[in-house]
Amino acid sequence: MANIQDFSSYNPTWCPGCGDWGIGVAIKQALIQLGLSPSSVVAVFGIGCSGNMNDFLNAYAIHSLHGRALPNAIGIKIANHKMPVIAIVGDGDCYGEGGNHLVHACRGNHDITVIVHDNGVYGLTTGQSAPTAQKGFKSKSTPTGILETPINPLALTITSGATFVAQSFAGDALHSIAMIKAGIEHKGFSVINILQPCVTFNKVNTYQYYLQRVYKLDSNYKKDDFKIAVQKSLEINEEKFPLGIIYQVEKPSYTDQLSQLKESTLVDKNRFTDFDKIEKLFI
Amino acid sequence: MTDFTWLIGGEAGFGIMTTGVVFSKITTRSGYHIFDYVEYPSLIRGGHNAYEVHVSGDDVSHLSPTIDVLVCLNKETYEKHKSRLTPSSLVVFDKEEFEIKEDIKKIIIPFKKILTDLKGQSVMKNTISLGASIGLLGGDIGELIKIISEQFAKKGDEVINFNKLFVQAGFDAVKKNYSELILNYLTKKPGEEKLVLTGNDAFALGSVIADSRVYVAYPMTPSSTVLTDLAAWQEKIGMVVRHAEDEISVINTAIGSSYAGVRSAVGSSGGGFALMVESLSFAGITEIPIVVFIVQRPGPATGMPTWTEQGDLLFSVFSGHGEFPKIVLAPGDNEEMVELTAKAYNLADIYQLPVIVMSDMYLSESHKSVTKKFIDEFVKTYKVNRGKLIDQMTNNKSPSFVKTSEGKQNYLRYKITEDGISPRLIPGTPEYFYQANSYEHVEDGHTTEEAQPRIDQVDKRARKWVTYLKNDFSMPKVYGEIDKSEIIFVSWGSTKGIVIEAQKQLKAKGINSAFIHFNHIYPMDIDKMKTFFKQNKKYVLVENNSWGQFGKLLTMKTGIEIKNKILRYDGRPITATEIVHKVIKL
Repeated sequence: MANIQDFSSYNPTWCPGCGDWGIGVAIKQALIQLGLSPSSVVAVFGIGCSGNMNDFLNAYAIHSLHGRALPNAIGIKIANHKMPVIAIVGDGDCYGEGGNHLVHACRGNHDITVIVHDNGVYGLTTGQSAPTAQKGFKSKSTPTGILETPINPLALTITSGATFVAQSFAGDALHSIAMIKAGIEHKGFSVINILQPCVTFNKVNTYQYYLQRVYKLDSNYKKDDFKIAVQKSLEINEEKFPLGIIYQVEKPSYTDQLSQLKESTLVDKNRFTDFDKIEKLFI
Repeated sequence: MTDFTWLIGGEAGFGIMTTGVVFSKITTRSGYHIFDYVEYPSLIRGGHNAYEVHVSGDDVSHLSPTIDVLVCLNKETYEKHKSRLTPSSLVVFDKEEFEIKEDIKKIIIPFKKILTDLKGQSVMKNTISLGASIGLLGGDIGELIKIISEQFAKKGDEVINFNKLFVQAGFDAVKKNYSELILNYLTKKPGEEKLVLTGNDAFALGSVIADSRVYVAYPMTPSSTVLTDLAAWQEKIGMVVRHAEDEISVINTAIGSSYAGVRSAVGSSGGGFALMVESLSFAGITEIPIVVFIVQRPGPATGMPTWTEQGDLLFSVFSGHGEFPKIVLAPGDNEEMVELTAKAYNLADIYQLPVIVMSDMYLSESHKSVTKKFIDEFVKTYKVNRGKLIDQMTNNKSPSFVKTSEGKQNYLRYKITEDGISPRLIPGTPEYFYQANSYEHVEDGHTTEEAQPRIDQVDKRARKWVTYLKNDFSMPKVYGEIDKSEIIFVSWGSTKGIVIEAQKQLKAKGINSAFIHFNHIYPMDIDKMKTFFKQNKKYVLVENNSWGQFGKLLTMKTGIEIKNKILRYDGRPITATEIVHKVIKL
């Protein structure tokens, strides 16, 4: 059984107090608790402070381009649907640059787990506003305040077809571990939006800010009701942040629906050699 | 010897394309070879479609300037194509639909009356015209009925029998009224079994032979039929075909599946490829094998979607930010398409880099008959070569595995090697792990910004080109003899059959020529290349673009400049006749 050292590589270079520390530990703990090892899981990282986790986490991995982690993860899953695939991405990465991929990955119910670091800013490029920044947020790229309204990641993914949508808070590692585990165990497309203070570039959405506004869903919350889930997800527009599994339903995943993957994974199957079958179509 | 051109034209949306393929298959089943070409506008209804088939007793891969049998389903077909008629050409039409005043050999088929009498839909004019054409060319109506029966097999006997009536009506109309004009061009003769393939079909078939397991695309003319071919076959052949949301997702899905260990390809035209280019560079630095199929059409931007051009050569050769090796191939015909496509997958695996296979609308949408024997022989000789893939049984002996100072196993994905190629491990292999890193990295894949590891990795990647030129690069093929020729053609990709035909026509006029045809476009062996250009001859560059892009590449790489250029960029393929006319004036 793997331990935290097995998953640990270089020492992280995140700022002291950054929410990434909590998320990094939560991911490792979740993988350990699920009985996974660095050889039995694939992680795809986007570009950003969150993506820099590539050098701190041991696993089969791709450190992708900005915004492109999801299609890479989908490709990996198609080739080897028996391996758990997680995408570790940022809000600018996944909701901005890769927004189109996110919507269509939801539609496909691809069996991958997307862990989004949501801190409202582009940390690695020194603090420009991200698609989740609240309207009016002042940053270097929006000195008079951002004109756009923020993306609602929960409502967007639920209505696009994701079958597991959860929210957590980087300040609550135990909750984050539980959400990541549940996401990986879920068969289908799972998104965990993790609220995360950027102590260097976001002076609005601080630990204090979130501690005053997050709350956990109570045990009789009906997570399999689409309308309730959409309703719940709209609370973040009012700066109220529910934590927990907002929505979860069981549906066949993308690879579940491919008859050519019934017998074995694509990477393990035997080579097709009955070329006459194809040639005769052209005679 | 049989050598003629049949052309059918009519309004778009009325089944001209299907009719053309059926005609091509009848002729190949009767023992002949074909090369066909289709003209159609970028819309579904209302424009003009034309489908021409060049039929020959010999292997053929060019169009003829003249039309021997012109089937006009509307007046526009006649007006558009009459300039290509000769005094002996036959023109099939219905005088109830329009009149032809010119003194030509008219074959009047009462399409309208037959449709009314037999209560057929107007699309069945095609079926009548097939019957009439086969009758006129002395072909076997049994063969035609067999194809129609195969085509409608799923729809049942009633539909088959209904269609037969129209075939017979067309056939009988010719037999009854024009028996003296019947040509015996299609008399059944023994011949090899043949496949009627487009260049896109040939790419799809080559991919299947090469054991490609993932194809990802977003529809874009003229590449879309690769997507539809493979999507139709995927369950049968055990492939996964994904129609992704955009071309960025397309290439990144394939990069993911290739990283996970399966051969993967993507396809598009220039515009879609433009969207993929950032990720091509990503495949370059992560050293993930990928095959990219580019079917060119005239640009820039949307350009002329359903027409042909070789305008994306320099873009493809230099695509991607940063410096990384890639290989560019450009097959000259369907046989080369099958061979080079399958080779592309081997090269991608051996050198762990992007391999671009270039086509264009002319090669990708024209059918050319290929003997089944050729395909079967190729299948027998082709070996899937996955390159330096670490075998699970012997993996711990590989020099790519080292122990860290803490005694842990470490795998060096980007190990510095003499040939530039680092042994690759399939993710999921127990005990190990690694990251494919889009940042510059050290040997084990971790990010670096240090000077020396950066230099080492840049040099390592560049050495893959050196190894490729030594082991797998193929010199251009020369048709004719350079020493004995006054004219030396230089061209690449899809113009092959056209230039070879021009050589034949020049020979008939007493002009000897040679032709240097490139299909391994980039990188090229500069020293060896120079040997072709030493002689004091008239070199003529032939390209389907306005810049003479291959000529520019050649100049850049070798300093050789070809002054005489035959370039065409109106969306139409160059013809042998225009090459001959221009060469004579040189």
